[in-house]
Amino acid sequence: MALLELNKVKKIYQQGKIEVPALRGIDLTVEQGEFTTIFGPSGSGKTTLLNMIGCLDTPTEGEIRLNDKKVSDLSRKELAMTRRYNIGFVFQSYNLIPVLTAYENVEFAIRLTDHTSESQMKEKVLKMLAEVGLKGLESRRPNELSGGEKQRVAIARALVKEPKLVLADEPTANLDSETAAGVVDIMRKMNKELNTTFIFSTHDPMVMKYANRFINLKDGMISADERRG
Amino acid sequence: MFSFKLGLKNLTRQKRRNALTILVIAFAFFSYLLMDSLMNGMEEMSFENIKNYDTGNIQVTYPEYWEDREKLPLENLIYLNQDMEESIKDTDGLLGVSPELRFKANLNNGIDEVAVMGMGISIEQYNEVFATQNYVVEGSMFAPGESKAVIGVSLAELMDLKVNDYITLLVRTKEDTFNTIDVEIAGLIRAPNPMINNGIVFVPLDVAQQALNVGKGVSLLALKTVSGDEDTATKALTDSFKNKDMDLKAYSWKESAASVIALSVAKKGGIGAILSIVLLIGMLGIINNVILSALERTEEIGMMKALGMREWEIVFVFMVEATGIGILGGLAGCLIGYAGVSGLVKYGYGLGYIGGDGSAYGIPILDRMYGTWNYPAFGFLFVLGVIVALLSSILPAYWAAHKDPVKAIYHR
Repeated sequence: MALLELNKVKKIYQQGKIEVPALRGIDLTVEQGEFTTIFGPSGSGKTTLLNMIGCLDTPTEGEIRLNDKKVSDLSRKELAMTRRYNIGFVFQSYNLIPVLTAYENVEFAIRLTDHTSESQMKEKVLKMLAEVGLKGLESRRPNELSGGEKQRVAIARALVKEPKLVLADEPTANLDSETAAGVVDIMRKMNKELNTTFIFSTHDPMVMKYANRFINLKDGMISADERRG
Repeated sequence: MFSFKLGLKNLTRQKRRNALTILVIAFAFFSYLLMDSLMNGMEEMSFENIKNYDTGNIQVTYPEYWEDREKLPLENLIYLNQDMEESIKDTDGLLGVSPELRFKANLNNGIDEVAVMGMGISIEQYNEVFATQNYVVEGSMFAPGESKAVIGVSLAELMDLKVNDYITLLVRTKEDTFNTIDVEIAGLIRAPNPMINNGIVFVPLDVAQQALNVGKGVSLLALKTVSGDEDTATKALTDSFKNKDMDLKAYSWKESAASVIALSVAKKGGIGAILSIVLLIGMLGIINNVILSALERTEEIGMMKALGMREWEIVFVFMVEATGIGILGGLAGCLIGYAGVSGLVKYGYGLGYIGGDGSAYGIPILDRMYGTWNYPAFGFLFVLGVIVALLSSILPAYWAAHKDPVKAIYHR
């Protein structure tokens, strides 16, 4: 059973009286453990597609199934619960909470899902921060971290709850190439170790070289879908 | 609970704005507490001044006289007999009885004339009921048997009179003929109740009775009782008169202070209005704060929704923050309110801006009003303030939490 299935998914935005199609009929199946990049020019629908997959937005037409559950049938509460337990997000602008330390930003995500003891929770958060190379920086606030470090905190936050699927929207767009390579390295490592499914949207060729599946979007449609190695 | 911790931590963001909201709430609380203290003080002082310098705790008279008492009639006077004296003597907690003959008079200083209220009193009995003697600022109260008068300082200034001057009171007798009372001024008083100072001339009771040709008649009997017992004593006295087939009736001081009590009722309405304004200020401050915070944290709200937080959980974070502001504002308000009320209780508030005399506004207070402590008001205001802060944050917080997650995340 595939982790994710999209059947003829369309998304049309209404801008005044004008209908703007963002996705024009996407058929896509993603298996558990895939490391997939979605690429394409600006306005091709990459972010819209990620939002649909991430249960943040609903399609105008078509069907999305996550874990064999039809997303469009879910209530707001069920959508929130699906995101909480199954999906991790990494954003281009990190979106860390500035008043929380690196540790607390990661703790925030696990508190929503994990109801184990305090000590186990702490152990998990510290381990995850260490995994992304932030050991010793746990008590720093986002304004005391570099761009790469912030993105690592965001990755740790997405992964600490061990979701089946991580969605990353241009995660390296704000990073220099060396830092970006480090961040993608971490995600690839997590993908291998935890069998977490990653779906990226990116323009970055360096990110793409790590992926094992490439989906090219053009004008809201998949123009190429290629698997490698 | 992590959302609680996050809400508290958010209090450290936008320190200046939060501090300003806290200050606004604190100032509103402070104003309310000050006003409440002053109003209660005014009420307490007014009541004390009425009891101690005007009516005593209870007044005994005929209902017909009571109806017309403002006109100072010489009809329906009391002629004391043994039954009456016994009934009064049996009153629980009785501390003194002062017979009074109140009458209309024109005070003449030889040049000018002014309408006043004459008050025939038996000085020893009067002193048992009223505290006016403590406020003789020049000369003294007249002694028993002396044919002298005591007037207020304000009246003396108005008529250019001083101690040892002679005055003439032009009066109408019971038979409506003119008569005069010629007396020397024994003393000038400046009682805390300005109404006493402005228009009353005290003369010995026997002098007044003789001039008015009323025999031993008196308008009323002013009784001093243990404070707080007035209502029971009033009822007991009236019942006792009824049982002895007397038409006399006892009236609590409250019935003489209707205008001040009406002011007190209006005061409660005023306090309520001030409270509403205070709460409205707090509410607007909190709503403004939550809306601005939500606008600044739109992406963060989007991220919270992406993480799977439910709307009520996001609302809770904002509510904790707003309640925190309410608590800090309330504490600060109570603290500076405490300092302000302490000052009012100790130093009072001068009535200089109305010439130092509250009587022109129906308030029987002279020179300075003092505040009183109303500790429950502090607790009540604090709790109410926190509840209002909490409740007023719900709607804007819900508005924030209800944002479309996609638009929130990518709102830039």
